[in-house]
Amino acid sequence: MSRRTERRGIHVDQSDLLCKKGCGYYGNAAWQGLCSKCWREEYQQVRQKQIQDDWALAEKLQREEEAAYASIQGAQSQSHSAAATSQQPQAHASLTPFSKFEEKKTNEKTRKVTTVKKFFSPSSRTAAKKESQEGKTPSPSIGRDAGFDTDQVSKDFMDFLKNLQKPGRDIHKQCRAFLISLSNKKHDLGADELSECVQDFYQNLADRLIGHFKVSSESVEQVMDQVEKYIMTRLYKSVFCPETTDDEKKDLATQNRIRALHWVTIQMLCVSFDEEIPEVSENVVKAITDIIEMDSKRVPRDKLGCITRCSKHIFSAIRITKKEPASADDFLPALIYIVLKANPPRLQSNIQYITRFCIPSRLMTGEDGYYFTNLCCAAAFIEKLDAQSLNLSPEEFERYMSGQASSRFSSSNGDVTDSASGSDAMPSNPVLVQLNRNLDMLSDLSTRQEALNEAAAKLQADLLSWTENVKREVNDILERYPLQVPSRTVSAIDTNNIENNLPPPLTPEVFAG
Amino acid sequence: MAATGGGKTYSFKVVLLGEGCVGKTSLVLRYCENKFNDKHITTLQASFLTKKLNITGRRVNLAIWDTAGQERFHALGPIYYRDSNGAVLVYDITDMDSFQKVKNWVKELRKMLGNDICLCIVGKILLLQTRFSGGAIVVVYSYAESVGAKHYHTSAKLNKGIEEMFLDLCKRMMETAQAEERLKGNGASQSASSRRGVQIVDDEPQATPTGGCCSSG
Repeated sequence: MSRRTERRGIHVDQSDLLCKKGCGYYGNAAWQGLCSKCWREEYQQVRQKQIQDDWALAEKLQREEEAAYASIQGAQSQSHSAAATSQQPQAHASLTPFSKFEEKKTNEKTRKVTTVKKFFSPSSRTAAKKESQEGKTPSPSIGRDAGFDTDQVSKDFMDFLKNLQKPGRDIHKQCRAFLISLSNKKHDLGADELSECVQDFYQNLADRLIGHFKVSSESVEQVMDQVEKYIMTRLYKSVFCPETTDDEKKDLATQNRIRALHWVTIQMLCVSFDEEIPEVSENVVKAITDIIEMDSKRVPRDKLGCITRCSKHIFSAIRITKKEPASADDFLPALIYIVLKANPPRLQSNIQYITRFCIPSRLMTGEDGYYFTNLCCAAAFIEKLDAQSLNLSPEEFERYMSGQASSRFSSSNGDVTDSASGSDAMPSNPVLVQLNRNLDMLSDLSTRQEALNEAAAKLQADLLSWTENVKREVNDILERYPLQVPSRTVSAIDTNNIENNLPPPLTPEVFAG
Repeated sequence: MAATGGGKTYSFKVVLLGEGCVGKTSLVLRYCENKFNDKHITTLQASFLTKKLNITGRRVNLAIWDTAGQERFHALGPIYYRDSNGAVLVYDITDMDSFQKVKNWVKELRKMLGNDICLCIVGKILLLQTRFSGGAIVVVYSYAESVGAKHYHTSAKLNKGIEEMFLDLCKRMMETAQAEERLKGNGASQSASSRRGVQIVDDEPQATPTGGCCSSG
């Protein structure tokens, strides 16, 4: 019996049953061969370690998340401040040398990696999802592009300078030195001093190229274009609409002014556009787009390029309308009209920026300079615009400015003939025509509704008075014919009737016979 | 702009002033494109035109800026003629009001730009038969002389007097530029030509001290 059990059962050595730690107690398979006491010790240690690890991981994730959130916030606030004016942190970055940009770029990269990691890590799944959704929209468009642009510009600049060999190295050295010296003192300088510094740098560099390296004047122009592009991309954030000036205030004033002048028409400015021709209105739209686009460029030359393109579209429009080349007599009013229509963002700031930091030769004699001068004229004209400059009487001008009169639609008294003639004189904009028609219909509707309301009120009054009338009539009649109830004498049915009407009772007749 | 082969290249800015519809456009189109009232005029615009000249071996780039002549834009004049080397003032000889406008312009130009600017007063003739009365012509010429300007009679239709007028204007502008160069002395002469008509004058004194950031590099 005992032998059989030994054979059939599992052979277990005595030593196997003891605790693996060798404490002398018996172990248990469930505790991995340890006795209860040893197992508790061991288990506690492992668990503690596990808890610590988990804690560390959680902390790490938390940090990453915060970092990512902060950078997104940064990007967002950057976009906000780009719309406003003070861009100090970004400005700083844009001034520091190339290495910083590399750093910035790698930062961007790591952030992206952590976002991806988080996406897969289970502990913060929901947070990561939200993060990536939030992060997707603003960061690629603003945060990265700004850095990317500057990077691209520096790269282009280097490539360009490589072709120039020895002068190229010198130019690079000069530009770097200039940027560093300017970044050191930029907080002490006003806008005009900064402008002077940059202009002096242009002049000195050009002189040096001609005098020292014997570069031809054509290539000096090319070099200066590149230098301007490189330097102004770097300086843009700190010198565009700086806080030391009242450019921003002027921008707002101009913007409000243009808004207040929304009623100015082609006829008042004597612009030779015929917007009924589709090509003309197409060119007008293009010109408006170009002048608005100016604000998005950083380099003065690119901004001037936008103005020039805008001007070319205006010339096309005039050419199509008048069938002859446009003179300044046609061009300036047209440009004023376009500026009024477009209300370009930060107009004064842009004008000031170009005046301060553009290469002077381009501004003074070039074609771009001519168009820019015209834009300055347009801005000055709009600022000082009064009744006389639109051939209006002061009273009329006041009426338009206060919004009492409108050149587009005479809604003041809803006169039928007036509004009809108004829509005849309208430019052929189909939307406006439609709008006018809708307004007509609405005013018609409102008059009809008023009539309806009146009728309803009348009906109500009628109803009320009708009941009153009926009541009064009834009362009248009642008064006139008071109720007379004849007093009825109640008598026995048989008394008088029988006595009067009935024939006398038959008396028996006796017949003799 | 210096030493490219022969002489120096001058860049001049000339503003074109005159009342609206006195025919500034046809004048400048005739000069730059040699076209008058022609179906073949292909240029998009006649408000900014350039002309390259060669005068006594010197290359001259002429940029002609048209200005809006309407009365309501009169106040914008200074923005246009800032830093210009020459001005062409156009009037219609049959319209003495337009000559009065010219007088106003001259007064303004002399006040703002002093004697640095060379002036040409141009009387536009539509038809050759149109003649001034004797008295008027004396008045006009003596006025031009009194303000240091030259007077011309031109006709864009007949292509008369325009070429001569611009040529003379260029010569006078070159003389002015050269005189200015000499004034600046020998030291600055190499940069003077490139600065001429280009640099804002106020920057001149600061150029040397702040130049440190550039030359030290």
